[in-house]
Amino acid sequence: MSTTLKIRRIISDQRVVLTALTVGLFIYFGLKNSAFFSTDFVIYPLLRDGAVLTVIGLAQLCALSIGHLNLAVGRMAAVAALASGAAYQYWHLSLVPGLLIGLIVGSSLGFVAGVIIVKSQVNAFIVTLAMDFALLGFVTFVYVTFTGATAAFITKPKGMEFWRNTSLHQYCVGGFCGPKVFPMMLVPAIIALVLVGFLYAKTRLGRELLSTGSNLRAAKLSGIPVDRRVIIAHTLSGLLAALAGVMLAFTNGSFTASIGSQFMLPSFLGPVLGGTLLVGGSVQVLGTFIGTMLTLVIRQGLSVQGIGLETLNIALGLVLLTALSLGQIQKMFTAIRMRGRT
Amino acid sequence: MNFKLFFKHRATELSLSIIFVVGFVLLVATSGGVLLTRQSLQGFLTYLAVPIVIGMAQMVVLAIGQMNLAVGAMGGVSAAMMAVLMADHHLPIWLALLIGFLSATAMGALNGALVVITQLNGFIITLGTMTILLGFQYRLVRTFTVDSYPKSLPDFGNKSILGFPLILVIAFATSVLLSLFFSRTMAGRRILATGGNQIAARLSGISNGRSVFLAHTLSGSLVGIAAIITISSLPGINRSIGGDWMLASFAAPIIGGVLMAGGTVAVFGTVVAAGVVRLVDIARAQYSLDPSIVSLTVGIVVLSTVALSEWRRRRSQRALEGKKVSG
Repeated sequence: MSTTLKIRRIISDQRVVLTALTVGLFIYFGLKNSAFFSTDFVIYPLLRDGAVLTVIGLAQLCALSIGHLNLAVGRMAAVAALASGAAYQYWHLSLVPGLLIGLIVGSSLGFVAGVIIVKSQVNAFIVTLAMDFALLGFVTFVYVTFTGATAAFITKPKGMEFWRNTSLHQYCVGGFCGPKVFPMMLVPAIIALVLVGFLYAKTRLGRELLSTGSNLRAAKLSGIPVDRRVIIAHTLSGLLAALAGVMLAFTNGSFTASIGSQFMLPSFLGPVLGGTLLVGGSVQVLGTFIGTMLTLVIRQGLSVQGIGLETLNIALGLVLLTALSLGQIQKMFTAIRMRGRT
Repeated sequence: MNFKLFFKHRATELSLSIIFVVGFVLLVATSGGVLLTRQSLQGFLTYLAVPIVIGMAQMVVLAIGQMNLAVGAMGGVSAAMMAVLMADHHLPIWLALLIGFLSATAMGALNGALVVITQLNGFIITLGTMTILLGFQYRLVRTFTVDSYPKSLPDFGNKSILGFPLILVIAFATSVLLSLFFSRTMAGRRILATGGNQIAARLSGISNGRSVFLAHTLSGSLVGIAAIITISSLPGINRSIGGDWMLASFAAPIIGGVLMAGGTVAVFGTVVAAGVVRLVDIARAQYSLDPSIVSLTVGIVVLSTVALSEWRRRRSQRALEGKKVSG
């Protein structure tokens, strides 16, 4: 392979372009307003939010990998956080068992969604949308019934402060300490990234999920148990949504009904910007992280400039629509090129 | 035989009507007749208009097998636009309402155009436009409540014809027109054909793109009507307008018997279902329950309706296949 071809290949990789864009925007915002380079007030929270939103992006990615959508990601996260919060408040569990309860609840919700989809053959987005409605009322109802006016579980398990406030700076190996900007919250996100990446890149299950997504009939004909794969994808989606929900509750310091209500748009932005196809069959795990960071840099950068919430919303909506149309334009060009070749 | 068939085809509408009547009587009985006083009856009917119209706005998009997540945001922007035009720019009422209505239609057309051009699911496109529009709504009204428009508008909202609030009559008239559109016109039939089966529609010479565009535009117009009703029945417009429209807009058509897979509409069912949801709301206020109980009830009802209708469809399909084998 010649060097020019190699360079061309690197440049045409969406992830490289996205990273360059993210870093470029970051530097641009920093140069315009040096407050943007503040470790404590901007970069640390940015990465911490990025960790949560990356995990919710991965939750959506699992559903996208089989060509489905999960509109209930936010509410699954909310129910899982509710379960964990109740476990901490009423059963006085320590950090890890409480987290596990949340994860179990989240994955069972995903499992139920998957089973309903497979059994009823109803479109995934309809099932998850209806589920979202039912859970929305359920979550608020439970919080209000059990905690009254506070509408939150506020018991903090031991170790929660450590996860929400400290960075890798705490760990030193031979006089060399970790960077201060690296929030501990990124650790579970990185673990999730590695595991999901490994699943889709290296395992048979991952490949079967992808072929289920790219062509259901072909997958069925080649002997893949597609129904079971659909259920697995939704269970995974629920599991990751639960993780994101509990992570957000840790970041906020309390378990409230509003957890997950802002998850829907970011859950699509990350994977879609990162190059995951909406139609299924192709995922970009690392791209999800980069896409999420790009949206966060735009959001944070604009708000440091003193631009209000309304413009942020407009900007993020435009980014989503542009990213979606770009995919379509790219497809069009490929089609033209293919036609020219034959 | 004909009578039996009629019941079979209208099962959802009939049972909903019965539920509505029974629920209403029960509420009247338990409230000791308070609901029947002129004032509370007026309130019940007035706030029924918006759910009916936004239910229909969602229904026309469901008819092509898509959904419009931006219903609330479009209505919010449109109502905010009308309010600002009247309060700050002192436009005459009719002009402000017309501009608001046309801009809602344009937003719907934009959704439709984007869906057709990108060939993506309407859900994801409207998620994007919803975010953008929410931004515009904040920008228009900020954190204020705009209410300094001419007094004659609320007066218009309070008018009634034969005891029915005028705005409810508008909602009913809209639903009759929409029903005629789907049953009597070419364009309406084409939309249903596209929703029922895209490939079959294309093979019979229907432009699916045009149907999709038309359905989204129509949805925008209906949202515009809902915005007019909102601004004439509420004391002021702020940024929360439209925020609670999404669940209501899905609940009415789905409970009313519209399939989310597309290809069907049920105007009467949607209207009655909106009435039933409104009854739940009234019951909540009467027994001073938590507002979340309404979303919970409506959510569960929607979920079970979807499951039930799918089960029914599959059963009838199986019966059909059985017939084919034996015949």
